This record gives sequence, C-alpha cells and structure tokens, in this order.
Amino acid sequence: MSESYVGISWNRQKKIYDAIIGVVVLIYLALFIGVGSLLHPTSTIETLLIRGFGTAAILSLHIVLIIGPLCRLSPKFLPLLYNRRHLGVATFFLGLVHGGIATFQFHALGELNPFVSILINNTRFDSVPDFPFQILGLAALIILFLMAVTSHDFWLKNLTAPVWKTLHTLVYIAYGLLIAHVALGVLQAETNPILAVSLGIGMLLVVGLHLTAAFKESKTDTEEPNGKGDYVEVCSVDEIPENRACIATVSGERVAVFKYDGKVSAISNVCQHQNGPLGEGEIIDGCITCPWHGFQYEPETGASPPPFTEKVPTFNVKITGGKVLVDKTPNKAGTRVEPVSIDG
Amino acid sequence: MKKKEFYIGYLPEMPEGIAKVVRPFTALLIVLVFVLGIIFLIGQRPFAKSYFEFGNVQDFEGTIQARPIPFLLVVSDEKTEGLPKFERIPLVAEGKDGAEELIRSYDGSRVKLKGTRIYRDSLQMIEVVGGSIVKSGGEGQIAPEKEESLGIHTLNGEIIDSKCYLGVMNPGNQKTHKICAINCLRGGIPALFVVRDKAGNTSELWLLGEDGKPVNEKIFDYVAEPVKMKGEVKRRGAFLYFYSNPDSIERLN
Ligand code: HEM
Ligand code: FES
Repeated sequence: MSESYVGISWNRQKKIYDAIIGVVVLIYLALFIGVGSLLHPTSTIETLLIRGFGTAAILSLHIVLIIGPLCRLSPKFLPLLYNRRHLGVATFFLGLVHGGIATFQFHALGELNPFVSILINNTRFDSVPDFPFQILGLAALIILFLMAVTSHDFWLKNLTAPVWKTLHTLVYIAYGLLIAHVALGVLQAETNPILAVSLGIGMLLVVGLHLTAAFKESKTDTEEPNGKGDYVEVCSVDEIPENRACIATVSGERVAVFKYDGKVSAISNVCQHQNGPLGEGEIIDGCITCPWHGFQYEPETGASPPPFTEKVPTFNVKITGGKVLVDKTPNKAGTRVEPVSIDG
Repeated sequence: MKKKEFYIGYLPEMPEGIAKVVRPFTALLIVLVFVLGIIFLIGQRPFAKSYFEFGNVQDFEGTIQARPIPFLLVVSDEKTEGLPKFERIPLVAEGKDGAEELIRSYDGSRVKLKGTRIYRDSLQMIEVVGGSIVKSGGEGQIAPEKEESLGIHTLNGEIIDSKCYLGVMNPGNQKTHKICAINCLRGGIPALFVVRDKAGNTSELWLLGEDGKPVNEKIFDYVAEPVKMKGEVKRRGAFLYFYSNPDSIERLN
C-alpha cells in the first residue's frame, strides 16, 4: 500500500498476466506481418508495421475498457482487473510504435517539422472523407502517454486520488478520439465493410457493457430511503453475509455496511487506492480488503493498519428492528466509530 | 449459503470458481484477437503492383534534362529500325525532395549517377543518391520526341506525388497518404494527376501549369482527394502531360 509503491511489487498472478500480454502481442505482430507479406507481396514493410501495431493497440484498448464493466457485472472477472494497468501501458507502447512509424513515414524527411506537418498540412476540418484524422491519433497518444507515465501508485499518491482518477477517466476521451481516428482515416480509403463492422461491434461492446454495469448498480444499490432524523435505513441485518457488506447510497455517497463477528460497521465504499468498491470486498484477518488490489482498512476506523496511512470516512450506525440505519453525515476519514452489536 | 469466493491478487493461486470463468474467458479473448487480426489482413484493399528496390543502388548513365520535370535520358546501344532506343526516366532525390537541386548544374550534360529504381506498371523513376552525380564527359545526347496535343479536357482524378505513388509507399495515394503527398509536393517532387476509368484502369499524367512549370505550391489543399481540373492534355514520347490552370480545380466531394 502506501509504503509499497517503491518499486512495483511482483507476484505470481502479475507475472502470469504480463507473460500472457507479451506472448499474445508478439504472436499477433508476427502473424500480422508474416501472413501480411505473403498475402500482399507488394505491400511495404512500413505499411504492415503501421497497421500491425495500430490494430494491436486498438484491440488491446478495447480489452482494457471492457474489463471494468465486466468486473462490476461479476466479481469472477476480477483477476483481469488486478493488473489491468499493465495492459494499459502495453496499449500505449503499441500506439507509440504505430504513431512513431507513421510520423516518420509520412511526415519526416520533408521541409516541415514532422509534428508541424501533422498539425497544419491537412486543413479539411470541414470534410468527413478528408478530415485530418492524424491529429486525433496524436491527441489520443498524448493522453495514453500521460496515463502510462502516471500509472504507478507513486503518482496516485502524489497527484491525490481524485486528480489521478480524473486523469485516468480521460481514457474515454482517448477512446473516442481513436474511434474517430480510424473511422475518418483508414476507413475512408478502405472498401471492405468487414473493417467498419468490426469497429462498430467493438464500440457497441464497450458502450453496451458500461451501460449494463451502470444499470445493474443503480438497481442493486438500496435507494436512499426516507430519513428518520439524521439516520437512514439501508438494509436489514440478515441481508448481509458474514464478513461481507451491503452497499447503499446515503446523501449521494456510497456506503459499505459490513457484518462481522456479530457486529456491524459502516465506511465509505470508495477505496483510496483507485476508487475500488470496498463493499464488494471481504473482511480478511479483521480488515476490509478491497476487491481490486487488496488495500485493507479496519472496519471500526476506516484506516489502513500501520504502517499504512490510507483512511476513508466512517459512518455512525444503529440497528433497530433488525434494520441497519446509517448516519447521513460521514465522519472525517479515519474517525473511530464503535461497531454496533447485532444482538442489541 | 455457500461462501462466496474472493479473489486476492497477491495469493499465488486464484480460487477455483473464479479460475473456471477467467481461464476460458481469457482463452476466448486471445483466439478472438488472432481471428480479428486475420480479418483485418484479409479485409485490406488490394495493394498496387508497385516497387521500390530499396537497398539495391545501381549505376546509371545518361543525359540530364531539367524540363519539364527532371529526367535522365538513357540511350541504349540497341537500335529499333535503325534508330537508337532511348527512355526518359524521371528523377527524384532522397526523402521527400525533388531532384531540381541535385541536377541544377547538370542540365543537358552527360552524367553518371547512382540511384534506386522505383516502378509501377509502365512508369518508372530513379531515386538519385545525393552527391552521386558526376559529369561523364562526352556530348549530351538529345532524343527527338514527337509532341501531340490531345485537346482541352476536364478530367476527374486525384493529384498525388509521383514518388510514393510509383512505389516508395504502398498504398501511396488516397486518404491515408494525403499529408505525405503534400509533404512530397512541398519538397518539389513532381505531381501526377491520376485518372481512373470505370473498370479501374488508371492513366497517369504529369501535372504542370499552363506555362509548363510545376504548380505544386498551389494545389496542396486538393491533394489525394477526388477533384476535377481543366487543361490541355499532350502526349510527348511515352508520357502524358496535363497543362492545367490550378484555379480550375474543383472538389468532387
Ligand atoms: C502520432 C500519433 C498517430 C499518428 C501520426 C497516426 C497515424 C495513422 C495513419 C497515417 C494511419 C493510416 C495508416 C494506413 O493504414 O495507411 C493510422 C491508422 C490507424 N491508427 Fe493511428 N496514428 C497515431 C496514433 C494512434 C494511436 C495512439 C492508436 C491506438 C492506440 C492508433 C490506432 C490506429 C488504428 C487502429 C489505425 C487503423 C489501422 C491502420 O491503418 O494502421 N493510432 N494512424
Ligand atoms: S482500488 Fe486498488 S486496492 Fe482498492
């Protein structure tokens, strides 16, 4: 956790994950370039490299983007999320090689600086078939670059979680830019509909899964019921499995109510690390453990056990008639709240 | 109630129920990625039969002719009907540069030079190695050429730089090549006007102004898109020329 960001901590799951990424990328590129030069003997190697890396990058970006909603739909996909940032960094590098070769090929060795060439040579902003699509690729690459260099927890810590999170939601802007980069670029010259259809299906998948996940969450969250004083009812004690939580929205904030050892405690649902859903985690060794990357918090205080320093807000709770009630006003992060005993 | 499984990344093994979902799903994703790669490969439009003999630098000898575009006039010892056989090979420099600069002091002289062949269908070109041109002594040759006007026409076609189109890049025209072609025209590479008939056959004309000088500077905004231009078509030797006023350009989309 906070102390462990010096150097990436490696473990078996991460190694397997990265090995799979590496091997798949290498086989894909070898396949694309090898079969491509047999299939199209007069194509130039630059074209095959540009297209091989470009398509690899956009495929891997799609996978990055579907992992999030898949995990929100079923925790069975969580192992894919655990090390997703490495796939994100791989996407950046694939895009960088693609963009780098394209920049050299089409813009270098001329009178203009290559980047000036990308920006000013094509002025047809008013046209769909002739739109300057390469600017869109460059903008997306800059976003992916910022995300890749700040992907380490060091930056998460130093930029603070909200800034970091905002920066990383720019991936959706990058995605939009890249869809346009392809649709207004190569698809304006290519004639086979299978290419446009593939892009369309990819987009539907990404957008569809995000909408489905959001819809599911809006249904499973206990809606904020009418308040009795400052407390609102969130769920019944029996609904919560042992060492697990129910999640509710209280005054616009998501709260996780955990049941353990015959007691109930409530803390913010939002993990300090990358906003993972703490309420989908579990109590392990007495600590609430985030399902995403395993950050831990004590249920009574919302604080990570020493030496770690993360803290999330806690909430006062009451139990009446088998129902759990949560105080509408959160306590300052790390404030100790005595857990409520279930037997009253 | 069965206890729900919980995934913890830093433990070496994942719980079995989760593995049962994640492993086949990952395998499916991987297969899908390869299948899509093959689809993208097959889905590309066919590549033109154009060639750039990159890495194969050859020696050439002939006479430099700077107008209307830089040529090397190569006269061979073979004769047809008692006359020497010859061909005019357009010249360009390395990178996105025309050969104007390289040949400036050699117009009309007999030279030796090193270069790399570029060719597509019946058209060819030499990329001259910078600094490789030397006067070879002997008279500059001239080859008589018949010039005939094929009339004033309005043609639909695409303006493109000759170097990439003839083989240095493939695809060397259309949308994805637009900016590259603009850079090449900026560098003085001769412009081609490519006309396609309904059957997909192409005819390439060297695009010049009405005064026979290059008009590259005036056509950047119209490169690699469908356009219409009016001008006189002339045949000289093996080549077609399109003498057109750049103000007559109109976009077709
Ligand atoms: C400086 C940045 C970039 C430049 C100059 C650039 C340029 C280009 C060019 C010229 C093409 C058309 C190539 C052709 O097929 O003839 C292209 C296509 C494409 N680009 Fe980019 N691009 C950039 C960044 C990106 C990034 C970051 C991605 C994805 C992560 C990307 C994904 C694609 C894809 C999927 C295609 C279609 C496949 C292809 O034609 O190569 N591009 N790009
Ligand atoms: S979001 Fe990473 S551990 Fe919670």
